[in-house]
Amino acid sequence: MKRRTFLMGGSAVVTAAMMGERAAFALPGSDELIWADDLPGTLDPHAVSDVPMQGYMINVYDTLYVNKQNPPKLVPWLATGHTVSDGGLTFTFKLRDGAKFHDGHPLTSDDVVWSFKRMLAIKKGPAAAFLPVLDPNGVTAPDPTTVVFKLKRLYAPFLAATPLMAILNRRLVEANVKDNDWGQGWLATNAAGSGSYIPDIEGYQPVQKLDLKRNRDHFMGWSDNTAPIETVRRRPIRETTTRVNALIKGDVDCTDSYLPPDQVERVMASKTATVSKDQSMRLMTLRMNNRKAPFDNLNFRLAVSHAFNYKGFIDGVLKGYAVRNAGPIPVNLWGAPQDLPAYELDLDKAKDYLAKAKAEGAPVDREIEIHIQEHLAQTTQAAQILQQGLRKIGVNLKIIPNLWPQLISSTAKPETTPDMWAHWVSSYFIDPENWIGQMYDSQFHGTWKASSWYKNEKVDSLLHAARGLEAKDQRQALYEQASRIIVADAVDIWIYNGVELRGISKRLRGFNFTPIGSGADFRTMWLAS
Amino acid sequence: MARFVLHRLVLTIPALFGLLVLTFIMLRVVPNDPSAALAGENATPEQIAEVRRAYGFDQPLWKQFVIYVGQVGTGNLGNSIISNRPVLRDIADRLPATIELTFVSLLFATVVGIPIGAIAAVWYQSLFDHAVRVLTVAGLAIASFWFAIILQMIFAMELDWLPLRGRFPEGLAPPYHLTGLYIVDSLLTLRFDLLGRAAEYILMPAFTLSLAGLASIARFTRAGVLETLQKEFVHYAEAAGYPRLRIIWVYVLRNSVVGATTQIGLLFGGLISSAVAVEAIFDWPGVGSYAVNAILSSDYKAVLAITLVVGLIYALVNIMVDVVHAWLDPRVAEKL
Repeated sequence: MKRRTFLMGGSAVVTAAMMGERAAFALPGSDELIWADDLPGTLDPHAVSDVPMQGYMINVYDTLYVNKQNPPKLVPWLATGHTVSDGGLTFTFKLRDGAKFHDGHPLTSDDVVWSFKRMLAIKKGPAAAFLPVLDPNGVTAPDPTTVVFKLKRLYAPFLAATPLMAILNRRLVEANVKDNDWGQGWLATNAAGSGSYIPDIEGYQPVQKLDLKRNRDHFMGWSDNTAPIETVRRRPIRETTTRVNALIKGDVDCTDSYLPPDQVERVMASKTATVSKDQSMRLMTLRMNNRKAPFDNLNFRLAVSHAFNYKGFIDGVLKGYAVRNAGPIPVNLWGAPQDLPAYELDLDKAKDYLAKAKAEGAPVDREIEIHIQEHLAQTTQAAQILQQGLRKIGVNLKIIPNLWPQLISSTAKPETTPDMWAHWVSSYFIDPENWIGQMYDSQFHGTWKASSWYKNEKVDSLLHAARGLEAKDQRQALYEQASRIIVADAVDIWIYNGVELRGISKRLRGFNFTPIGSGADFRTMWLAS
Repeated sequence: MARFVLHRLVLTIPALFGLLVLTFIMLRVVPNDPSAALAGENATPEQIAEVRRAYGFDQPLWKQFVIYVGQVGTGNLGNSIISNRPVLRDIADRLPATIELTFVSLLFATVVGIPIGAIAAVWYQSLFDHAVRVLTVAGLAIASFWFAIILQMIFAMELDWLPLRGRFPEGLAPPYHLTGLYIVDSLLTLRFDLLGRAAEYILMPAFTLSLAGLASIARFTRAGVLETLQKEFVHYAEAAGYPRLRIIWVYVLRNSVVGATTQIGLLFGGLISSAVAVEAIFDWPGVGSYAVNAILSSDYKAVLAITLVVGLIYALVNIMVDVVHAWLDPRVAEKL
């Protein structure tokens, strides 16, 4: 190509761009919703079990039970109900009639059994909640509408874990198995569900773009929604400012549910959007490595617990959009003692405890470290507030940026676990087991959830007993007792239970928040004209 | 020339291997075991250990590296450990968007940077020259994310002249896929309506991305032209009565932009890495956003693959720049 030709071509492109008629930029249509929240890394609901997957799974797949409302209530979904026998070891579920997969094939108990076997075989994502108590032979289907689970030992949270388990179309997945992979290669970018929405696989671009079409034949029918949304376009937008601008401009119908508090007023002041503010069960915690000196000293941990400005953080940084949570179970979940005394900022007390720790030989003069998740600004802000408090009592705190995968890798051993680190525990397995059970039972040491390396035999036995009891009131008493001990031991710093802040378009109606999936259940929604 | 190109291509192989070794070490020496994430939030230590064994993460690092290099040698860059899709396919889906953004940015930087640099030098110490100097310093200093947000606020939010985000309007089918570059595909298929839409969407991100490069090329050109204007052959041409415009266009500029072409080649690598931020802000579906996702989820095979592909492109562009360099200045070709 001659230089002149090349330059002319280049100019043509620029000229076309500059002179092209000003477009009426595409805004969402009246029957399509643009949902700007994260997509899961894969479409296989048995491969991961994180927050974005929940937002996808609750729309595309069905489960035996689901969580509805806020605080979440476990209600039968594919199942009409269940019975428990054999001292709490055998769960029998009856399936509804008429449930069909997206390809029209009927959903039977055989699909449920096969789905559980698949999940237990590939041992990823949701499997972790079932593997300790269920083996593949423990799931059977005596008839097309009955599924029986025989647990290896009593595990009270079993029912609460069932919404994690998507039921797959056995026939479809088996047709796409390669090298005995249980269809993992295929399902990563395909779907085999029965849920209220059907993904458009042709146009799917991983973690970037996915369109969903309404499943008119869904077994629950649509009589409860007179104008359901026909098309949902899921378009994750990574950058918060762009997401908020897009919402205000009308380009999209929502932001994610972690809108920074400083953007709330801006969205609320707009003509096009508002903010849904819903208390969740997302607990923010600053972990302390109880195995490392000086954190192995109770008085030092108490000093740190009294050096954090809880009120300042919640009222100032979070603009009040959080609920103080004094212990390791979300305050709106059973098992959390309602009268638990919360640690408050009290530098005099902190100094006293520090002096006691020093007298006991704790190396309180060493610089301590807190690892924050560098792309989550709130973890930095919390660390900075703690840093200020600690500086006033003479403790030097260094803030180290890190990333989630590195952090959870580091918690495999007490020596590599940071002195402190910041994280949330999300809510999609609604049982105290998801919080206190897995965070403070020493059998979970080596996992990120148990990264405080706390060991208290009394607490271990209480938590062990609680997961092995059928009666909820008995379990509740044990969790409350364990909570009191753990808080008295100042194992970690528990800050708040989140208020999820999701910017939503004013044309969006029927948004019903449930912590699971952060309110992304499209079957209840409609669009005002 | 052919021998030169072949020689450079062969040298690219050890360079890419070095890049692979460095990236692999950097990604894996820090505690960075994806097993915990794969095993699920409620996993016990035993389940995490089982995942570690299943994926081979319990093997010594050198062994994992040898296995990986063996795979790469056969052209297989592996599957993403998160999505289970071949990473090469993911990259192939997204690379055209990044390439298009980078080339349009480079085009902006060149077609604007070279003339303003040249004019500033020709009008040395004029108001225009001072303005160019101030603006180029600003262009180099301004953070791209800040500039991007300002552009968005003005042109998308206030004036509503340009789209805020994305690569193409929702619900409108993009041009028929020939190269994956929407502008090129629109031109090749004579779909000028789609060309306009694609151009609208690329304007702000490409301009943002070009800013630092534009400033750098303008400064480089200005310095080059100033230097050339002092050369004897220019004085001779002036004395011989050649028209000034002809002297500048034919003799000065051609001699001055030789240096700028090298700058353009170097810029390309910088543009691709800067594209990560610009793609995120404008929600541009390129490899930048894919790379960020891969890093945040510790998907090391995806990160390695992106590094390799971008490294390869960078090497190829530099070879192309050398060729252009030689074409502009035949003396360079003689040395090759």
